[in-house]
Amino acid sequence: MAVAVEAVATAPVVPTKAFVPDPYLDLDTYEADADLMTLSLGPQHPSTHGVFRVVLYLDGEIIVKAVPHCGYLHRGVEKLCEKLAYSNITPVLDKNDYVAPMLNEQAANMAFEKLMGIEVPLRAKYLRTLLAELQRIASHLLWLGTFAMDLGGALGGGTSVFMYCFRERELILDVFEELTGCRFHYNTHHVGGNRHDIPPGWPKLVHEALDTIESRLEAYLVMLEHPIFVDRTKGVGTIDAQLALELGLSGPLLRASGVDHDLRRDAPYGVYDLLDVQVAVDGGGDCLARYKVRLAEIRESIRLSRLLIDNVPQGPLSATKPLNMVTQFKAAAGQVYVGIESPRGELGTWLIASKDKPTNPYRFKIRPPSLHAAAAVPYVFPGHTLSDAVAILGSLDPIMGEVDR
Amino acid sequence: MAVKPNEDARPFEHPLYDYLERVPGLDFAITSVDKLLTWGATNSMWIFPMATSCCGIEFMAAAASRVDLDRMGSIVRGTPRQCDVMVVAGTITVKMAPRVKRLWDQMPEPKWCVAMGSCAISGDFYRDIYSVIPGIDVAIPVDVYVPGCPPNPEQLMAGLIKLQEKVRLKRAGLPVPKEERPEALERTITPRIGRIEERLKASAQDPVSRAQLESAQRLYVRVPVEGGVPEVKPAKPTGGAE
Ligand code: SF4
Repeated sequence: MAVAVEAVATAPVVPTKAFVPDPYLDLDTYEADADLMTLSLGPQHPSTHGVFRVVLYLDGEIIVKAVPHCGYLHRGVEKLCEKLAYSNITPVLDKNDYVAPMLNEQAANMAFEKLMGIEVPLRAKYLRTLLAELQRIASHLLWLGTFAMDLGGALGGGTSVFMYCFRERELILDVFEELTGCRFHYNTHHVGGNRHDIPPGWPKLVHEALDTIESRLEAYLVMLEHPIFVDRTKGVGTIDAQLALELGLSGPLLRASGVDHDLRRDAPYGVYDLLDVQVAVDGGGDCLARYKVRLAEIRESIRLSRLLIDNVPQGPLSATKPLNMVTQFKAAAGQVYVGIESPRGELGTWLIASKDKPTNPYRFKIRPPSLHAAAAVPYVFPGHTLSDAVAILGSLDPIMGEVDR
Repeated sequence: MAVKPNEDARPFEHPLYDYLERVPGLDFAITSVDKLLTWGATNSMWIFPMATSCCGIEFMAAAASRVDLDRMGSIVRGTPRQCDVMVVAGTITVKMAPRVKRLWDQMPEPKWCVAMGSCAISGDFYRDIYSVIPGIDVAIPVDVYVPGCPPNPEQLMAGLIKLQEKVRLKRAGLPVPKEERPEALERTITPRIGRIEERLKASAQDPVSRAQLESAQRLYVRVPVEGGVPEVKPAKPTGGAE
């Protein structure tokens, strides 16, 4: 890709003074003669990925303060789950993080099983892990497409990368549709195992999809050589390891800040203890590092998926009887926490069961990784220009269904 | 030129019309221009995506490479001021509804609204939650309902084609069939025509479910296939990986 970048004269944007980002900046104490402008980004904005609203206070083109507002998609999911029986919760959670529904189902059902003391058969464990890895590929592809769209024309025409990524994502969705009958919102996990067994010919489909995606992945790495892409992402939105840990970031955001942490390797669940998960870490902390980490994760997920699909053992798919009654599953009083590695980070489920309601959760708390990503906004935005804000928000990848729940 | 006062039953027409009507050949030209305008209006329905949640992802899939709404002339734009159709895709909360209304008011006339997904139609299973409004049609008028959770991109496309048909009828001055709001049932509708026909028979007594089923049926028009529809047998799980 020979692009004459030298021809584009870009004057470096220099903040008026050495800027120390302060999320709690009191605007009254900001320079008296500064002409501050207030700009509301969202809740309906093509690049806020849903209904996220950030109020920006701008000095010229430099952001001095950013105040995020959420709650535009608050659907009361946790409260709804308290009303539902254990067997009915899974389809509701699909809608929570709608880019990676498989992981939501898995997290909740693992919590139920832990509370009820049900051991999942090995075949179901393999299938769950495989589905999670496939979903991770689809989720990261969607992220890449929308992120490139946020960067706008930086990659030669706003929506080209978006179109390519969705082409690949459709392959994964086809695989899921073949297995469960749905493109997403699968409802395929249930307490004790999985609902849909592997149909004949399915492993071949998975292999074909993975091969196609892997062969096309090379094209995305060309982006790294694209000078405009590198200019717009390198050194933009830097989160250092200290801040990342303080904010509670996890997943690719934390690994892009140089912290080597991955629940798949550090606290294995499913069959991850049988696999050797290679964790991608990058010390850059900026948007470019997040891009690199996510692309490496796609590659790793492809490798793991291939291993898994070839080795699914025979045996039962579920440890429990097929559902014939809504109140079939009963839990003793107690509480559990289960955290799994979703494409966005640690997706936790904290479940409390009481004696009075054996068939429903007493309290169902979700720890969404996106909430912490959205909370990073006031720390990262200040000091950047408005156009960088969109790139940073894209690279943080908050899913509002998960943030607001 | 003597301008006649508006004494006839056309109070909103420009006085010049009366004169223009007498120009030979002009009515034919106007009809042709009108046809051209109808063709333009139906084939350039620019979409404003009111994509709030999961249905928004499926809407993105519809706009992306496989289904590609662009080939219908439906380009997705980020600003309401350039758009003709608002696709409400996703749950609308109490906090979001005034924003939707405001964006709707910013769209120029003529404008249409497509409610995509159960949430936008009736609130889905969140309809009893304190923060969710039961369907976007409490705030803005809806022209086409596309049921599903989420509807496939193809279903959205079918909905848009239906909207085009509606616009065509309206511009031709023909009566437009009224779109019934599919009410939420306890059961989810599966888009299978055979089953819907069965249910239509069974639900003859229940006007609510009847309206919903009819709306669903209108959307999934069965296309006659030569030599009959091939039987699709569900694959038998073998219980083993290949
Ligand atoms: S109808 Fe279903 S898929 Fe669509 S927004 Fe509502 S919950 Fe999500």
